Amino acid sequence: MRRNKTASTQPRAVSHLLAGCVRPVIRHNLWLTAGMAAAIAASTALSVLPPLILEQIVNRLTGSRSVSLALALGYFGAIVLSDVCESLQNASITIFGQKLTHGIRSVLCAKLDRLPADYFITHESGLTASVFTNDGDAIDVLYSDGIVSLVADCFRLIAVIAVVFTRSKGLALLLAAAAPLLFLFTRRCQKRMNRAQLDNRRAIARVSNHVPETLRCIRMIHVFGAERYMEDTYDGTIQDSYRAVNRTNIIDSIYSPVILLTQAAVIAVMMIFAARGGASAAFFGVSVGSAVAMIAYVNNIFTPLGNIGMEITNIQAAAAAITHIEEFLAEPEMDPVPSAEMHPGAGASDSGAPGTDSDTEIALDRVTFGYSAARPVLKDLSFTVHRGENVTLAGRTGAGKSTIFRLLTGLYAPQEGTIRIGGKDPRAVQPGERRALYGCVEQQFAPVAGTVRDQITLFDPSFSEAQVQEALRLTGLSGTVRSLPQGLDTPMASCAFSMGQLQLLSIARAVVSDPKILLLDEITANLDSSTEARVIEALRASARGRTVLSISHRLSSAIGDTKIIEITPISA
Amino acid sequence: MDDSMKRETRPPRHSAGRERPVKDPGKILSYFASEIPVLTVVTITGIIYNVGMIAGPYFEGQLAQCLYDISRGRAVWQDMLHLTLLYVAVIFVVQLMRAVKRFGVRRFANNVSRKMRRILYNSLVHASQKELEEEGLGSLLTKAIPDVDTCVEGMRKFTTEIFDTGVVMAAYAVMLIRYDWRLALLGCLFTPLAYLAADRMKTRVTAASAAYKKSSAALNGQTIDRIGNAVTYRIFGREADRDRAYEAGLSDYEKKSARANLYEGAMAPLYDAIAMIGTVLILYFGARNVLGTGWTAWDIAAFTTFLSCFTKLAVKASHAAKLFNAVQKASVSWKRIQPLMRQPVEDPAPVPVAPELGAEIAFRDVSAGYGDSPLLQHITFSAAPGQIIGITGKVASGKSLLGKILIGEVPYRGSITINGQELRNLSADARRGRIAYMGHEPELLSASFADNIRLGEAIDAGRCLKLTALDKDLADLQKTADDPIGAGGTALSGGQQSRVALARTLAHARPVLVLDDPFAAVDRATETQILEGIRREFSGCTILLFSHRLYHFPEFDRVLYLHDGTSTFLTHSEMLAAEPGYRELFAGQQKGVDYDAQK
Repeated sequence: MRRNKTASTQPRAVSHLLAGCVRPVIRHNLWLTAGMAAAIAASTALSVLPPLILEQIVNRLTGSRSVSLALALGYFGAIVLSDVCESLQNASITIFGQKLTHGIRSVLCAKLDRLPADYFITHESGLTASVFTNDGDAIDVLYSDGIVSLVADCFRLIAVIAVVFTRSKGLALLLAAAAPLLFLFTRRCQKRMNRAQLDNRRAIARVSNHVPETLRCIRMIHVFGAERYMEDTYDGTIQDSYRAVNRTNIIDSIYSPVILLTQAAVIAVMMIFAARGGASAAFFGVSVGSAVAMIAYVNNIFTPLGNIGMEITNIQAAAAAITHIEEFLAEPEMDPVPSAEMHPGAGASDSGAPGTDSDTEIALDRVTFGYSAARPVLKDLSFTVHRGENVTLAGRTGAGKSTIFRLLTGLYAPQEGTIRIGGKDPRAVQPGERRALYGCVEQQFAPVAGTVRDQITLFDPSFSEAQVQEALRLTGLSGTVRSLPQGLDTPMASCAFSMGQLQLLSIARAVVSDPKILLLDEITANLDSSTEARVIEALRASARGRTVLSISHRLSSAIGDTKIIEITPISA
Repeated sequence: MDDSMKRETRPPRHSAGRERPVKDPGKILSYFASEIPVLTVVTITGIIYNVGMIAGPYFEGQLAQCLYDISRGRAVWQDMLHLTLLYVAVIFVVQLMRAVKRFGVRRFANNVSRKMRRILYNSLVHASQKELEEEGLGSLLTKAIPDVDTCVEGMRKFTTEIFDTGVVMAAYAVMLIRYDWRLALLGCLFTPLAYLAADRMKTRVTAASAAYKKSSAALNGQTIDRIGNAVTYRIFGREADRDRAYEAGLSDYEKKSARANLYEGAMAPLYDAIAMIGTVLILYFGARNVLGTGWTAWDIAAFTTFLSCFTKLAVKASHAAKLFNAVQKASVSWKRIQPLMRQPVEDPAPVPVAPELGAEIAFRDVSAGYGDSPLLQHITFSAAPGQIIGITGKVASGKSLLGKILIGEVPYRGSITINGQELRNLSADARRGRIAYMGHEPELLSASFADNIRLGEAIDAGRCLKLTALDKDLADLQKTADDPIGAGGTALSGGQQSRVALARTLAHARPVLVLDDPFAAVDRATETQILEGIRREFSGCTILLFSHRLYHFPEFDRVLYLHDGTSTFLTHSEMLAAEPGYRELFAGQQKGVDYDAQK
């Protein structure tokens, strides 16, 4: 009933996700799924077996009959079998859960390719990543420690009560009455516990955040003598966490003793009625052997009960994760490029060569664009850049200069007008052709997770060692890289590059593919003048024979020969 | 006076209060020693509870026996009533002890964790720049914090298991031996097997879980990289390739995590099964005991109690490995954090000198640098209260170095005096009382605007916000001074961040104000407005202003121009005439087009 409530808060999401992701996993792992079902059934059935054998043994003893070795072995065998089945059940649930999260993450990753660039620019990447990681894990928990285990534990509970019913209707009724009460108590404890744990996690997050922040601000702390203030703040968050943990401790300490005391009370009641004789004995009617077996059952029944509570919590917690994943999958996707744009002209675009009629490399024709249609950033903008030209787009910050690059690299499509780069609509340039056509040096270098070489090749193994070395030479980084402990194969994380060197790496990344066009976005904005000179020198070396389009809000003589196109903000 | 007032405004240290101090933070035993009251309660209740654990099996046997006796007419149902009442009462006491013990142990862990964290943080916040960066203390401490959790968890498990495994196993064992020592020994013969099996698997379990953690970290890194650099990968046409790499990462993670989980989850029931081998013997020989053909004469009660005790002992024994694992993990973590556990430093409140008084600051033939070769040599200049000295030079001419000398981060040769007192002879507190510094990096905390400026002192943040023209920005952002600035201030523009840092320095103004490039990312009109405010409000202070923007240098009292490893100290107009390099810098400022500077 609880489950229905959970489901009803997210009916669409749950059904959608479950249908979309579970079905293929089941289809591809039919044997695993069947094995899992079999293991659950077997371990349920076997878990009720040992007390039944014990009952036989004790009944034989009370009848003064001997216990054969076979019966003793049977008891042990039942325990082993039930343990093995439990093991198999755990294993199959684990594997199934992992396959499921793998499937979901693959679906999420595929979605990344279909998202418009706008999504990445307007959404914090950490939050999106947590949909993959945290929410992905929550789905695993939802299945492994949620739905599947819930089913298994419900079966176990039902099986025990059913067996008890065949021996003692009274005890079965007693259990059936006590179970819901204890279940409610369990839920209450778990809910309080979860709230306290949530508070603790929040406090711990602040505690953990405080340490890197202290390191980042250490000079300020020393300069202002703020050590005590920082310690007091730290203490405050630790104190929050301490209080939250204490709350969980209280519940934790009380819960299990209450359950065990209840077990004792149930056993006591059963024994009293069984001993009274008469009608109550008939109702509770147990033999000595059954009494021993029943005590064993009562001791076991509360384990699945507690588990069920936990599993419901897991399922509820996963509801939020499902929502996050659903929302992510529902993000609007890129408009498909019109097929007419895909194949402009007749095969003229084979090698990305511009049309035969001109040497135009880049052309904007009456382009109007705004991130929202109501507020255009560019209006009626037209300009052309010819092959081999060096052109600078100049204008103040916010005039839309970087936007032009986003249009040229096909990240966005103009609302009006046409754009051609290498004779093509930018969005029709196939991924594989991009690096041969243009190299883009971004305003801030984005290091990727890998070695120094990966920074340049972006994991493309088709670049030869010679090409990479040439890119290093052009950017004047050869010496720097040679001095690294493992040269090009040094992990990026262990390199302490300066801002200027990072910018040079960024240029190496752009020129390693020997592109026809270089796009440079404010690459000297964050550099001091001496480093700037080095970067510009590197650019000169690498720009030879290429078409270069740069963006700058600051012009100085260092830029060299360039044609200037002023971009003025349209609101001005 | 001032000092005592300040103390009142600070929240009392360690508001939890009444915390027992740790004598020697470098010894793990001192943490146990500092928690003696809690541990005493734990010991008493722990022993009662665990010895009481045998009450369950004992009474269950008696109950069965009583039922048997009633069926034989040897007892009446009132006997059963008394027995059950006693049973429930005993269980109640035992469970009450258990609740107290459980809470006590957790409280103990909680207290120790808090103490360790505080000690670690104290050494972090008091570590010098050199220790943090060059000796890597910063990253060591960051890594140590999660170790505290593991270490304390181990201490908690150890304390718990001393009773829940040690005492209880002893109690069960005594019980078994009392009933039938031969059968007890025979049954327990197999129990160590479970432990051995678990131990044999341990290396594989650890390897699998290490591989899993590694794969999980790799996948996380991959996820962040794939999403964070999505636009870069798209521009360079690398998306499909990255997706394939991600898929490979996913497959690896699936394999490793399934493996680790299997070892951890699926093996446990099997160890239980091994430990239970003894039940075969107990059932067989125990039955003979009951029937009178065995080693000892048993009744039904003895039979069921013995079986039940044995089952519990077996399960405990197979889990005993957990205790050793926890202790082992804890000792590994402790080894990592132990060297960092220093005696905490108590900070005296700084004694500030009223900034209006100003101070005479004089450099005489100062040289300094990182390492052996000095970057700056023969620096000689002086400034009087009320003066502003503009300090400039080309990139890497040593401007920031000069500032770092003044905050004691870089040692110097020669002499620097403040009102005649040699800087290097001043204590850190005395130095802080005389010099207020604003560095290159804004170093903002994830707190409110006001807290960033006040840093826990009773200061009118509003005035400083106004001085730095931040009041207008706040109004534009529709925020107040008490709103958070967002994670580390990253939501603010560079100019806004540096102005918050400037406001903070002005709030803690001292006779000497050292401002390193306060206007780097501030537009010219705002720069002029802020500078006017500072000159008005801090007219008595001695101000050293480092900048590479020279618009206002003509108005300053003197200019210190750093070049060729040394300096020239003149007025602006004299400097223009004397130093071609300075002339070039100043002229370069006028030339060129800065589209952002145009209004």
